[in-house]
Amino acid sequence: MMLRLKAKALDFYTYPPIGGDDWRYGYAAARVRALQTQMIPKSTLVDMANAGTFEQAAESISTTEYIPVASKTLAELEQVLIAQRRSLREQFARLMIDNSIVKLFKTRDDFANMRLAVRRRVTDKAIGTDYSSQGNLNPEIFEEVFEQEKYELLGEHIQNAVEQAILAYYTDRDICRIDHIIDRAQAEYNIQTALKMKSEFLTGLFSIKIDLTNIITMLRLKFTESEKRKVFLPGGYIEIERLKQAVDTEYDSIGQLFYATPYYRIVSVGANYVGTEKSFLKAEQASENHLSGYLNTTSQITSGPQPVIAYLLQKEKEIRTVRLILTAKKNLLDKKMILDRIGE
Amino acid sequence: MDFGMALALVGAGLAALMAGIGSAIGIGIAGKSATGVLSEKPERYGQMFIMVVLPGTQGFYGFLAAFLIMLKLNFFGPEGAITITTTLGWQILAASLPIAFAGLFSAIHQGKVCAGGILMTAKRPEMAFKAGVVYAVMVEVYAVLGLLVTMFILLKGINWPTPV
Repeated sequence: MMLRLKAKALDFYTYPPIGGDDWRYGYAAARVRALQTQMIPKSTLVDMANAGTFEQAAESISTTEYIPVASKTLAELEQVLIAQRRSLREQFARLMIDNSIVKLFKTRDDFANMRLAVRRRVTDKAIGTDYSSQGNLNPEIFEEVFEQEKYELLGEHIQNAVEQAILAYYTDRDICRIDHIIDRAQAEYNIQTALKMKSEFLTGLFSIKIDLTNIITMLRLKFTESEKRKVFLPGGYIEIERLKQAVDTEYDSIGQLFYATPYYRIVSVGANYVGTEKSFLKAEQASENHLSGYLNTTSQITSGPQPVIAYLLQKEKEIRTVRLILTAKKNLLDKKMILDRIGE
Repeated sequence: MDFGMALALVGAGLAALMAGIGSAIGIGIAGKSATGVLSEKPERYGQMFIMVVLPGTQGFYGFLAAFLIMLKLNFFGPEGAITITTTLGWQILAASLPIAFAGLFSAIHQGKVCAGGILMTAKRPEMAFKAGVVYAVMVEVYAVLGLLVTMFILLKGINWPTPV
């Protein structure tokens, strides 16, 4: 009911409101504002992508916190970046005054761990312990949970997701159903938690993420001419009926269906590119840019959790981009392909 | 102590107390933001300092008004405090209210403006004075107006009895 009420409220032009100031966060907001000035500028990322070799690409960021990446193997590079991300998340946890927000963001790893564990469980592979340790749940309990079916140890929201995912798999024998059920459970949990916290920013953030995921899903369904229609996530601003209708519309007319939404440009550019180039690149790039645009609006907030959350997400994206470029350079991939991937 | 003197002392107390509370809150807000930026950019200390201390001025204005009231009541003279009527007590209390309230609210809002200026200085240090300090001073104007009204009433609007 709450989800339905929120989804009707499309009363903004480009981005939903981000809420007001919370003066408890004066220190945290100021600190991330200073940290944002130390982030790698776009021009440096482009230089990295244009560099001739891996070493030259690594040299481009030699004055930043990513110094140790030069002359490393891919495995070592991966470890450096994982350590960077861990340290970023620890810093986020220290800066956030509301522990419930830290917990909410940690559930991203819980759901990712569950996706892997459930896949292993249904394909009769060993559950193992090689999971992310940055979630709320201790990966050491997973073996006990899945082997003895003690799903209640996972907490109510994860338990429901896992049980539904296993059931859905055995009903259809389709491994993709696991991802879909867990994505859906995660989206619902995020939105419900944000609404419970009465956080306008988090509600907007998760709703935008759901919309962008649904738009890419819609384009994928159209491209693969799939008959599946129950794969859209609930809780976004766009009505699911509109997305279903878009799947059955010609590529060059899909954009018109979204004319009254903030996603018109993403959909029209993305759909035309899929239609002509058979690639989702433009849709994915436009989605990333839209999300970044929303995060950038937090610069209007002098004190509040919004800039801190935005910094976490922006910095995580930076780490992903550095990883993408350096991995591509190690594997001698084409410059244009890397530049296309890192976006505008 | 008669009722008039009690009212006058309440006035002096309110001027110092409320403006002081406002300044403490304002400096607290600006100070938290400044420490956040300084933890990553200690070289910006000089630019931050003025924006942190600006909300403190209201506390001084309140103290000044309170001191003036006590001076006029001859607290520090050899003859001791003068005797005042209830009407005069009310007048002194009323005189203290402009700086008490203007000080309280302007200091808090000035603290917020300074916090915004501090955050801007983290990214655009060249704007520290142009926007950060100037905008904060514009809030300060209203505290100064409050102080002026208080002083005009105390110095020109009240017919003080002479010490015996």
